[in-house]
Amino acid sequence: MFRYTFRWDTVWNNFDFLMSGLQMTLLLSVITLVLAMLLGLVLALLDMAKYAPLRWVGVGFGEVIRNTPILVQLLWVYYVLPIVFGIRIEAFTALVVGLSVYQAAFISEVYRSGIQAVPKGHREAAQVLGLTPVQSFRRIVLPQAIRMTLPPLASNFVQLIKFSSLGAVISVNEITRRGMELSASTFRPLEIFTFIAVVYFFICWPLAMGIRLWERRLLAQ
Amino acid sequence: MTSPSPRDELPIISADGVSKSFGDNRVLNKVSLDVKTRDVVCVIGPSGSGKTTLLRCLAMLEIPSDGRIVMQGTTISTPAPDATVRKAARAVRPEIGMVFQHFNLWPHRTVLENVIEAPLLVKRTPRADAIATAEALLDKVGLADKRDAYPARLSGGQQQRVAIARALAMSPKVMLFDEPTSALDPELRREVLAVMRQLAAEGMTMLVVTHEMGFARHVGSRVVFMDRGEIVEEGAPAAFFSAPKTERAQRFLQQFED
Ligand SMILES: Nc1ncnc2c1ncn2[C@@H]1O[C@H](COP(=O)(O)OP(=O)(O)O)[C@@H](O)[C@H]1O
Repeated sequence: MFRYTFRWDTVWNNFDFLMSGLQMTLLLSVITLVLAMLLGLVLALLDMAKYAPLRWVGVGFGEVIRNTPILVQLLWVYYVLPIVFGIRIEAFTALVVGLSVYQAAFISEVYRSGIQAVPKGHREAAQVLGLTPVQSFRRIVLPQAIRMTLPPLASNFVQLIKFSSLGAVISVNEITRRGMELSASTFRPLEIFTFIAVVYFFICWPLAMGIRLWERRLLAQ
Repeated sequence: MTSPSPRDELPIISADGVSKSFGDNRVLNKVSLDVKTRDVVCVIGPSGSGKTTLLRCLAMLEIPSDGRIVMQGTTISTPAPDATVRKAARAVRPEIGMVFQHFNLWPHRTVLENVIEAPLLVKRTPRADAIATAEALLDKVGLADKRDAYPARLSGGQQQRVAIARALAMSPKVMLFDEPTSALDPELRREVLAVMRQLAAEGMTMLVVTHEMGFARHVGSRVVFMDRGEIVEEGAPAAFFSAPKTERAQRFLQQFED
């Protein structure tokens, strides 16, 4: 064992500073989830489009995003996009764009499997009764698909909270970045990063447990 | 009773030279069949002979590769439907009721909601009227007390009876049944068959794909025997079951004798 004098007061004295970072983390996660859900729906519709070129765009985009590292994508959005398009992108915007595009590629799969999990017979029953395809999608397919996609969407939110820590790399002031700054000025990484890990854990863990219970109840029905 | 107009004498629904292929697999080969008012046509035959596909063509769930589907003189389905045909199809769709082998009730809707959905959305029936009709129909199939249950809470036989009520709620001119008891345990079949028998007695025009030889024999007004995508033999049940003319029908019926 090493001898070490814990200085937890480093954390308490800078509690507000760290919590402002947590606020940013949660704000980022919520904004990103909303954007990713919308963009994911667009991608899912592209994937299922009747017109083949639209499908290629959707599928190709999804494959590229899912098969490259999120960190590289973030760096690409932050450093390369401005060069290519000659625009200025703030770190916050870059992070929101990068994370939501990344998450959308996964969420579109969630939507797609939710929609495809609704048995064809349910749509056929609607069809023979004279419901239009739009009525059938809205009243029969979507309500069932949404129920199945809610737990995976919630899991995506947990992932987003964790991924948002990557913002530290491009200096977005979320909680991990705050920790790095504080650690640089106080030389107390042990207390600071332990505290931050605990904060992440006590946000993500109850969410994950809740989702698991929720999923089990849906399955039981 | 009013005297029948010429329109009433036309078959309610007909397949006219209908063929259907899935890829290279020719499942129906120039099948023609008329279902007239109050007919209870039972379609029987070995599995894979195209019975379900014929029914699905009549229900406009499959588009025929050749031939056409006609409802009371109006063409409603062809291999390449033009605007007139598509319009006719939309208009008559609610008049063709269909009951599936696997019920296909909507699990997120209660029994009552399953039954009133199409009247509300398609016929724009006022809600109170739709509910009154639905309650009467549920009573008729013996499930008035299950009005607010979700389908998952019902037995297969009960689900199928709800599915029948749901189809009847659109006041169809013909009811198509696709092996309605095949997915059920033997002891649950009877309650579904009883409802179908009652419908037949009330004069509903029906086409039933079935393996229930007893039903075909005692309730059917006509039996159609299919094999390998063709209608091989058809006739009155009594004659067909006691003295089938074709060898294929004879062989098929042998397996039901004990
Ligand atoms: N959607 C489909 N795609 C490809 N083949 C099909 C499809 N539907 C039915 N078939 C084929 O058509 C044949 C006849 O099937 P079906 O009409 O269900 O016969 P039956 O009802 O007499 O058992 C079977 O060989 C089946 O595999």
